[in-house]
Amino acid sequence: MTSFFNRFVPKQPASPASASTPTKKDPNAPQPTPLEKLLADAGPIRDDGSDKFFGFENFGSTCYCNSIIQCLYYSVPFREQVINFPTRSPQEILERPSSPLRLNTDIPPSANGHNGALSPTKGRNSLSSPNQPSPRKPVATPGKDANPPGTKPEDNKDSPEYKKKLALAAGPVLNMDYENSHSYGMSESLFTSLKDIFEAIISHRSRIGVVSPHKFLEILRRQHEMFRSAMHQDAHEFLNLLLNEVVENVEQFSNQLGSKSIEQNGGASEAGFVNALTSAVSAVVPTLGGSNSPTLNTGWVHELFEGTLTSETRCLTCENTSQRDEAFLDLSVDLEQHSSVTSCLRKFSEEEMLCERNKFHCDKCGGLQEAEKRMKIKRLPRVLALHLKRFKYTEDLQRLQKLFHRVVYPYYLRLFNTTDDAEDPDRLYELYAIIVHIGGGPYHGHYVSVIKTQDRGWLLFDDEMVEPVDKDYVRNFFGGENVLACAYVLFYQETTLEAMQKEQEAEGLAAATRASEGEKNGVAANGKQNGHAQPLSDHHPIHHVTTPASEEPEFVNLDHANTAPPLLHHDPNPIEHAVTSTGIPAPALSPMRSNLQSKKEKAKEEKERKAAEKELERQAKLKQKELELKRRENYRKQEEDLRAALAMSKQTAAEEAQRTGATAEKGGVGKDKENSKGGGLSRFRHSSMSIRHKPKFWSGKEKPEHELSQPLNIQETPASTVEEEHSDTTAPAAGTLDKPEKTKNRFSLGRKKSGFLH
Amino acid sequence: MFVLPPPPRYPAAAYGQPGQPLIETNNILTHPTGPEHQLVVGEGTYVLRDALLLATPPPHPSEAPVHNNNPLATTLSPPTAGTKISVLVLAPRQQSYPQLFRLTTNNSTRSQIPASIQESPHEGQSQASDTASHPPMTNGVGSLDGSNAPAFGESNPVLSLPNGKDLKDPLKRRKPKSNIVKSNSSFVSRVIPHEALAKRLQEHDPKGIYVFANVNRAMQWLDLSSPTKEEHMTKILFTKAHPLCHDIHPTTKGPNHVDIVLGFSTGDIIWYEPMSQKYVRINKNGAINPSAVTEIRWLPHSENLFIAAHADGTLVVYDKEKEDAPFVAEEESPSSERLNEEQKKVSLKIKKSVNSKNQKSNPVACWKVSNSKINALAISPDSRHLAVVSEDGSFRIIDYLKEQLLDLYNSYYGGIMCVCWSPDGRYVVTGGQDDLVSIWSLEDSMLVARCQGHNSWVTAVAFDPWRCDERNYRIGSVGEDCRLLLWDFSVGMLHRPRAASVRHRGSVASATLKVSRTRTDTSSNSRLRSNSNLTSGSMAGEGEDTVHPVEPRARTAMLPPVMAKSIDEHPLTWLGFEEDVILTTCATGHIRTWDRPKEGASSDDGAVSTTSASASAGTGSG
Repeated sequence: MTSFFNRFVPKQPASPASASTPTKKDPNAPQPTPLEKLLADAGPIRDDGSDKFFGFENFGSTCYCNSIIQCLYYSVPFREQVINFPTRSPQEILERPSSPLRLNTDIPPSANGHNGALSPTKGRNSLSSPNQPSPRKPVATPGKDANPPGTKPEDNKDSPEYKKKLALAAGPVLNMDYENSHSYGMSESLFTSLKDIFEAIISHRSRIGVVSPHKFLEILRRQHEMFRSAMHQDAHEFLNLLLNEVVENVEQFSNQLGSKSIEQNGGASEAGFVNALTSAVSAVVPTLGGSNSPTLNTGWVHELFEGTLTSETRCLTCENTSQRDEAFLDLSVDLEQHSSVTSCLRKFSEEEMLCERNKFHCDKCGGLQEAEKRMKIKRLPRVLALHLKRFKYTEDLQRLQKLFHRVVYPYYLRLFNTTDDAEDPDRLYELYAIIVHIGGGPYHGHYVSVIKTQDRGWLLFDDEMVEPVDKDYVRNFFGGENVLACAYVLFYQETTLEAMQKEQEAEGLAAATRASEGEKNGVAANGKQNGHAQPLSDHHPIHHVTTPASEEPEFVNLDHANTAPPLLHHDPNPIEHAVTSTGIPAPALSPMRSNLQSKKEKAKEEKERKAAEKELERQAKLKQKELELKRRENYRKQEEDLRAALAMSKQTAAEEAQRTGATAEKGGVGKDKENSKGGGLSRFRHSSMSIRHKPKFWSGKEKPEHELSQPLNIQETPASTVEEEHSDTTAPAAGTLDKPEKTKNRFSLGRKKSGFLH
Repeated sequence: MFVLPPPPRYPAAAYGQPGQPLIETNNILTHPTGPEHQLVVGEGTYVLRDALLLATPPPHPSEAPVHNNNPLATTLSPPTAGTKISVLVLAPRQQSYPQLFRLTTNNSTRSQIPASIQESPHEGQSQASDTASHPPMTNGVGSLDGSNAPAFGESNPVLSLPNGKDLKDPLKRRKPKSNIVKSNSSFVSRVIPHEALAKRLQEHDPKGIYVFANVNRAMQWLDLSSPTKEEHMTKILFTKAHPLCHDIHPTTKGPNHVDIVLGFSTGDIIWYEPMSQKYVRINKNGAINPSAVTEIRWLPHSENLFIAAHADGTLVVYDKEKEDAPFVAEEESPSSERLNEEQKKVSLKIKKSVNSKNQKSNPVACWKVSNSKINALAISPDSRHLAVVSEDGSFRIIDYLKEQLLDLYNSYYGGIMCVCWSPDGRYVVTGGQDDLVSIWSLEDSMLVARCQGHNSWVTAVAFDPWRCDERNYRIGSVGEDCRLLLWDFSVGMLHRPRAASVRHRGSVASATLKVSRTRTDTSSNSRLRSNSNLTSGSMAGEGEDTVHPVEPRARTAMLPPVMAKSIDEHPLTWLGFEEDVILTTCATGHIRTWDRPKEGASSDDGAVSTTSASASAGTGSG
């Protein structure tokens, strides 16, 4: 058949139709996963971890954690800092993950690091690559393909479930049930545990595998009650918590070190540094830069993720403008249907009237006045974490609801909402990672991350599974009606125009190579046209052969109208279908068509068949709708239960927080500590504000809005006063701290403004 | 063991396309009224005449099983495009209102203003008479009155040969070969002509508007002036390929003949003649270029040649009469080899020159323009230049007659999605993923203003030639935010942007640029230049004359819209200005017709007031 087919194609070398030239291969030969294929040409393993692609095991709803850790790992500066703080530990002294216990296949972890998983394994047979579609290969659905529902998810070779199982089976699995904190000279914390994970990934000989972050989750759950349940957690919340924990752990360490050195050296340069650290004059982190030795650079999280917001408040009575700076580690923006990230950010900085209950205390007029307020970005972060507020409290339903708004995000971004005096206001950002939430509501669902790696393009990280994806895939998560998977957190990192152009050039080159390779291998040039079609080329011929009776109507419809139904049972037909389904009809085949029936007859027959099929499909659709409704109903019930549980747990957490906040002076672990910590480090509190208040905020969200806005004017007063005085006393600073979050609350909930020109 | 279960049937709600119907439905015409269906602008109120929802065809059975309920499925769906329109008016176009264009009244002004076309640096060769007689452009298609611009490929004797035989009977247009109704090609799924097509053709008012619109895998021919406009004239369903773009030949059109080219998601192109229902397929199976056709335009001064932008960043000129042949890039000309690396990067990669001796088959010419998808292109009104925008955010001005890249600009950020020329060819307007409409001046080779107002990506921009004159321009734009925005900008405003911008302008268009190009400096220009030399030193670099740096935000004038209105529930995809209406379309197939303000609403006054409003607004923001 190959030769038959080739008769028709050879004159069209560029044609994806040649895709169907079957590459004769032993059907039982091991098929590398798409990731393995991607890494097939990789050179020696680098020691910066940029060429490691590990999945993370899911211990039941820990996808929020997995997806965030992946995003952080692939932030090059963040990874470097984690590894190098306090110092790069020599590999010898570190405990390694015990030999992969769950390595239950015959693949040994490869010795040369060159994906050992390429070695034969029966478990991989069924995973074919997208580069070997052949119309007659029974299971040759591309690895990137969909899983049809209805079948058990794990049975389907293309289902994520199956792939995850496979990834776990293939290993190597890094069992992170140990810790090295003593080797780092630090006490055990989320940071050391994160460092353990990063170190283990980087030092492992294999390029791919699965991490089991036992210890990390253990510490997380020990320290934070809200993560103890097996419930679905908010990935953004977790990101904020993790960043703040890392800040705190790093701080604590340097504090200890600092006090030690003060004692020992009577206050050398280090002491001065620590002093500088402890005097929190403003929220802005001094640029610690590379001038300090890595041991001393404790501000790197801030350097990467922190930016400064300036809120300008103009009193409408005396026209006096007061400014106040707040630090942020991420920006949470409200969403509107059919908008863009750019627009969300602009809305974030739009002017807001402070009136009625929200009046502003003006120092000049000395009283509550109406005022205009706007928040602009004064210092741009190097990594901009953008949280799209997809979970919104709806009053009529008394709970959080997921917004499916279509919000488009560009691959590159600049910020419009900067202050006039901002440094580098035109900074160019590139999208490097997105956290995708899949599900109908905030209390359940799944998180995955899609990340641009240094030199391997975009990858999908879905717990244990890691899969290369096309750049266009990133745009699948804009949201919209009936789109369950939406981007939830976007990570933009700073870049330059030159870097951008270089990358685009490389992409163009890669596409060209792919295209020419595709031609050579008889594979369609790109997934764009072809990925869509491949399942067809696989299904139909088989289908045709096995169930000739049932497939008839479908076939007829395949080639509708005047095309060739009579050929259906001819041998060449599968090929033709393959060709058609790659989007390229095979006109060369037309002479082969027999004219058994007159066209009219055919057309008539087809019409009938089509009508029948339509009816069938409509019924199926109806059924599906019913099912959908049912499922939604179930979701709703489930959600309500979960909500109740969540509210309870949060309440307890809040209570506990208050208790610890009241009693504990310095001690206490976790986020609550910050409330009560001495003022020395209060500048860091600014950045941690959102996390400290988040749990309260969340439970607060479940209260009606007006209750929330109530305390605002009270908060406003001391806050602005403090700012004017530039006070570095601790007590009012605490007041300052409270304010931004409160304001933010109102920002997100109470704000209803229409565009300027409607 | 190799038996695969038959693909299950999924609900029609395709990924990203909810509610796609399963059965063939009819177009639906509605007449919404009320203030929410009116556009209030200075010159008066545009009223929604009607909204026509084109029926989205059910997926071809061969496509149905692809539905996928895994939201993470890494299969990419083929490129699709929202509904776009090609407008056809058979009667010769009336030139727009003279009082708006001031063609006759403002001769004095004209002499003071730098005469548009020949003032432009790229167009030094064009004659003054050309400019003076330059009529307003219609429908965004390049006006064909740049009559002394040479036709593409004129210099190549091999190319001009085959046209000789047509001259025997110049009035008789050549038709494509195959009948689309009787075709047995699997490319075409079904053709549904209207029952009374001949009658409707006869009844058609030659001044009325025909439109050709793509929706999903269908192409519909509609008569918008007909009382039964919701009934299509002809509907063509394609099997798998989605038509993404189309263009009507502006000069060969007539009551018995219309040349249309359609570009498809599969890379195929169809030359279609709707009156005789004949067609020809070009770039069959992607023989020449396998990537999707994202934009297609007939070349001016040529009956046969058209240019197609492919998704891989290639521009290909095809001849509608020629056969496909497997295409291998031809040797680069020695002149391009002499260029150094850096220059090569910014020059056009000519894979096949129009001057190639091998012109027996398609393509006529082929240029690799960009590394990423070309989103749109537009031909200048003087028929000499192409404006090409791509997904990587680049915007290029190409002299396609000489096959040279003249200018390369970049968006503020993100891809550029649409582009169009001002009727006089002096400005190019782009819209993109930075939510901005950007106005570029070709005379100064610089960005003159950014228009901020969209809440999402800008998908289409167009000039309203009926509200443009030498000083004032009306631009319309639509976007993913479902909104239509109108902008007025005036030359006066644009020539005095922010103080900072004046000082720094030289950094963008420094005096050393374009030595080869003739430039008639006006006094103001030279003043600016001498000024700018002080600051432009730092910007020197490779490819300086063609590559222009991104302008910082602080230096650029920001222009606010004069009207912004949400007009649809779905992202908008196309916009066009006609003599008495504005047409908009959306991603799901709505065609909305907006009547211009009625006569007697003193359009003169309106024009004046909007102009001044825009000027003050501009300075206010600038």
